[in-house]
Amino acid sequence: MRENMAHELDVRGLSPPEPFVHIMRALPALPAGAYLRVHIDREPYPLYEVLRGSGYAWQTTALADGSFSIRIGHSA
Amino acid sequence: MKPIPLNTEQAPPISVPLRFFTAAPLFLLLAALMLVSGADNSFANIHSPELLAATHCITLGFMAMIMMGAMQQILPVVVGSPMPASRLTIWLTYLPLLFGALLMPAGFLLGKPVLLNFAWPVLGLSFITFISASLIGLARAPARNATKTAILLSILALGGAITVGMLLAHGYATGLLLPYNKLATAHISLSLGGWVLLLIIGVSYQVVPMFQLTPNYPKWFARSLAPAIFIVLVLSVLSLLLAPGLHWVAIVAQSLFWCLAGCFAVATLWLQGKRRRRVADATLSFFRLGMMALMCASILSLATVFIPAIDHLAILSATLFLLGFAMSLIHGMLYKIVPFLVWFHLFRGGVKRGVPNMKEIIPETWMWRHLWLHRGTLLAALFAPWWSAAAWLVALGLLLQGMLLGYALLIAIAVYRRTLERI
Repeated sequence: MRENMAHELDVRGLSPPEPFVHIMRALPALPAGAYLRVHIDREPYPLYEVLRGSGYAWQTTALADGSFSIRIGHSA
Repeated sequence: MKPIPLNTEQAPPISVPLRFFTAAPLFLLLAALMLVSGADNSFANIHSPELLAATHCITLGFMAMIMMGAMQQILPVVVGSPMPASRLTIWLTYLPLLFGALLMPAGFLLGKPVLLNFAWPVLGLSFITFISASLIGLARAPARNATKTAILLSILALGGAITVGMLLAHGYATGLLLPYNKLATAHISLSLGGWVLLLIIGVSYQVVPMFQLTPNYPKWFARSLAPAIFIVLVLSVLSLLLAPGLHWVAIVAQSLFWCLAGCFAVATLWLQGKRRRRVADATLSFFRLGMMALMCASILSLATVFIPAIDHLAILSATLFLLGFAMSLIHGMLYKIVPFLVWFHLFRGGVKRGVPNMKEIIPETWMWRHLWLHRGTLLAALFAPWWSAAAWLVALGLLLQGMLLGYALLIAIAVYRRTLERI
């Protein structure tokens, strides 16, 4: 996992449930107005359900190499 | 502590798949008893009532029970769309399957047409509900990937398998004049070659890279494999049933089918050889055993296409496919999916601390014991048609596997309940 101050999280190459754990650990530290960009191997449908219930909004982009980039922020 | 209520419109509660999974091992016990209920070696005659009953106990009560339970969870997790009307769908799938999977083998074993006549409409209700709900779930799914295509095709094949299966059961029960051999071949092809193989392929596209940390299946391969298998399967069945004059079409289609199935096994073993973490893992070993069995089944089946007179090749191939490939894969996936479900439902249900590590939910020593037991059962099954003592060993193996799997599942449920109570 590679993480930096710009709220980037790369969870590619990790086996379940590690990507989910890392994302859920990173989100509470997210300042208001900021967003977390997650780079992940597969589209995490179960995560969306949890995000929806926890007051986060997200936008997913499919990348050319088959992985996904997800931009997660607080709901407006 | 009570888990936080979840959005069940998106994913069912953990009790749903676990209800299906915990019923399944009981059918392994029943299959074991059925195999030894006759006076002779039930494996010696492929049409023996004991073998027919035990096979349906495994395919309906064990395999379909687990696959249909897993689909309730697979659809929301893998393609982002649950089955509609979840509570009604679950009960109309689960209960009739449970009763039907008891009635049909009992009908075959006891030779009672009345049981078969009860069984086929009950099973029909279960499968028609399941197929309709799955198709609606897939139609609503936002995902556009090879897994979705493979699952869709496996459901269509199941529809065909069930239609032919109901006709066969009704025919046996009422003495209808039907081309039984051809229909039985179509039923077996669509259920094992279609429903089982295509569903395993679709789920493997996700599970193998995700849990075993391998590279992805090549894109062109993943996109084209399931449609190609479906097309040759349909061609093979249609030419068998509708165009007996075109025997060569069936031979070409069957040959292509087994070549494609073999390619899937080789591709999976090749990917597993390139996995990033090279640590011993019982679930991975179940997968590898399953893929090697599929490779051997494909080679033997290709031989039977050209030398159909050798009955023994067909029996060996069927054993390798059913016990070696399908059951190994189902065990391997179950031992990965159940701990993940327990962990995930605790975590997203609001438990943040004290959630056990996924590896602690079902101790890996039990999984290794089960793997060795399964290897032994498969080995005995390969000798069983010629050696009566081996048939007894197969029954004993299935009995112990049912007990072991049931115990492992109960451990997982106990961990889930204990963690909720503690917090």
